[in-house]
Amino acid sequence: MEKLYTICIFTENTLGLLNRISGIFTRRRINIESLSVSETERKGVSRFTIVIKSDERERVEKIVRQIRKIIEVLAVFGYEDHDLTYNELAFFKVDAEKSAGVKELLEGYKRAKVLFEDQRILIIEKAGTEEEIYAFFSRLKPFGILEFVRSGRIALPNNEKGLAQYLPEVDWEYYM
Amino acid sequence: MKNLSSDILTEKEEQPAMESATPISGSEAVIRSLIEEGVETIFGYPGGAIMPVYDALYHFQEKIHHILVRHEQGAAHAAQGYARITGKPGVCLVTSGPGATNLVTGITDAMMDSTPMVCITGQVFANLLGTDAFQEADVIGITAPITKWSYQITDADEIPEILSKAFYIACTGRPGPVLIDITKNAQTALMTREFAYAKCTKIVSYRPRMQPKADQVEAAARLINEARKPYLFVGHGVLISKAEEELKAFVDKTGIPAACTLLGLSAIPADHPLYVGMLGMHGNYSTNRLINEADLIIGLGMRFDDRVTGKVTDFAPHAKVIHIDIDPSEINKIIPADAPVVGDAKEALKALLPLVEQRRHDSWLAEFKELDKQEYEKVIKDDLYPEEGQIKMGEVIRRLSEKTSGKAAIVADVGQHQMEAARYYRFSQTDGYITSGGSGTMGFALPAAFGAKVGSPEREVVAIIGDGCFQMTLQELGTIWQSELPVKIIVLNNNYLGMVRQWQQLFFDRRYSFVELKNPDFITIAKGFGIDGMRICEREDLDSALDTLLESDKAFLLEILVEKELNVFPMVPAGASVSAIRLE
Repeated sequence: MEKLYTICIFTENTLGLLNRISGIFTRRRINIESLSVSETERKGVSRFTIVIKSDERERVEKIVRQIRKIIEVLAVFGYEDHDLTYNELAFFKVDAEKSAGVKELLEGYKRAKVLFEDQRILIIEKAGTEEEIYAFFSRLKPFGILEFVRSGRIALPNNEKGLAQYLPEVDWEYYM
Repeated sequence: MKNLSSDILTEKEEQPAMESATPISGSEAVIRSLIEEGVETIFGYPGGAIMPVYDALYHFQEKIHHILVRHEQGAAHAAQGYARITGKPGVCLVTSGPGATNLVTGITDAMMDSTPMVCITGQVFANLLGTDAFQEADVIGITAPITKWSYQITDADEIPEILSKAFYIACTGRPGPVLIDITKNAQTALMTREFAYAKCTKIVSYRPRMQPKADQVEAAARLINEARKPYLFVGHGVLISKAEEELKAFVDKTGIPAACTLLGLSAIPADHPLYVGMLGMHGNYSTNRLINEADLIIGLGMRFDDRVTGKVTDFAPHAKVIHIDIDPSEINKIIPADAPVVGDAKEALKALLPLVEQRRHDSWLAEFKELDKQEYEKVIKDDLYPEEGQIKMGEVIRRLSEKTSGKAAIVADVGQHQMEAARYYRFSQTDGYITSGGSGTMGFALPAAFGAKVGSPEREVVAIIGDGCFQMTLQELGTIWQSELPVKIIVLNNNYLGMVRQWQQLFFDRRYSFVELKNPDFITIAKGFGIDGMRICEREDLDSALDTLLESDKAFLLEILVEKELNVFPMVPAGASVSAIRLE
């Protein structure tokens, strides 16, 4: 059965690394479902969070080992959803004239709110898992959605470790 | 995003090895860094964007030998040949754009065959990057998938540190090609600090495991001690880690029959009693057939290439698998390992040796010898000792092997002649077979051969080349002439792209689609490049022609017209199980 896998990659903050990492997926014809890159808690270290679909765990393990080979990659971990706490963020743009009832709809959701509003439009933020966001999407659809954007997944594993625990031999400085 | 972290993440020896009071240019820093790394020879070709480095090189000609090739692909393959025979990194120096893209085939080849190489490419001024400037190419982008590491230098001050990282990465762990692209402004600018070179000794994000874990070694040893029909696959990793002695000790103690992969050839002498032959599509009959009889396969410094495994799902159905490799991503990539051992081949063998029991596997070994008889009768006898018809490739190789006592370095190109050379040269000295394995790059041999000769001038280097391959890089005869490199060249000419023709015969109903070549007069061409040559087509001339070739103290080209429609057998048909190997 096809499952989602989340791959977390810790890297040096170097130019051109995204190209090298994405090339590994391209070569094996694996589509990247979502990608997000940010600084980590440690200075000079970036974190890539990449979500892919696969029906074989083994295939994901092979990818993880190949990513690990990239020189600037400090560590790579692959997770299934139950190992993680994860979320995404979505914005929806709705025509203000057709939005009667939208705010009432939002009251039924914990993590949905209006971020911007004028005479013409509303921009609504919804946080949650992919399923939650798409469930919200279908509820909002009758009002007419002018534009929709969804971020890549961000995720942290449900364990007690961070980069400094995985690579204790390095004298890590905090990012700020 | 500049690389903020390299200072934190790269540990260096704090020993400035060479200092200069006045600031030096980036170009001079490049040359001095190479000298600090012990580089003796560069294979290169100048051009606009690398001219400042060539200008600096002009002043250091006493310290660094530069070989001017005729095409950058030749520089890459020459660097490979040099690296394969010396174990030291090959260094290429070329210009931007086409100069750099011409390296691509060689870099790919080096990546596939784990060959240490440092390629330095010129690049347009940093302020022109991305503007389609003259001779600009996104070389970092183009080579990202085919390099172990690459980096673009835009600031002269970065040069010593980046080059030290380049050499460290190219040579350690599983070796591979590294590309350093240097913009012209970084070459011409003066460094803002004194030149100080510290060899890189550690990179936090890159820590290849040399010493295998004890529990992995113990698990492997248990399987070895339990096995009744163990079978050892010897790969390139043994040569790279210089583990020939350890291998011999291991084989002698355990009594395990050992076969070599194409790139592992010569790791164990051909006359060793436990050496059973070559693996692969055109390997030996016994070595392929008995894979599926073995109860233990030990892959040592090899990667279960598809040319070795045949149909993966039918591979070694009765065997447990021990996979010893320095590259963790090779483990379970093709063949699942029951006992993976991640580490250097030499270290792994050293660790295993005290744990394995002294054994003999005489009846198992006899199974190999029995099948060898069939191969000898059906294939080998006629390949090596034909009595009539045109000269055969196999007999050329046999006589060459006898005349050189198996001690020459054979540099083979790609195709039928490559397989015949691999099958019939009786290697008695290590690093004896240099060829393009993973990539199968036609045109590899001529430049790789002179690269090998530069690396090992004392050794007889013989290039075995087909008529198709020869015409892919024959302009390198000019390099051989100018640099006075006494390379011995044998062109086995069948007027065909022989291996493709063989496949067309066997699998495409003899539809010979564009495989026949109208060849030039190779001897005249060689003479045009100042290289003596001789063409023969009669068996009775073969001995004396080979003597002339080997006795020449200069480069020499021997063209031998060989049987036109020879087929290389045995053969595992593509996609078939190794047990389906054909003798005819």
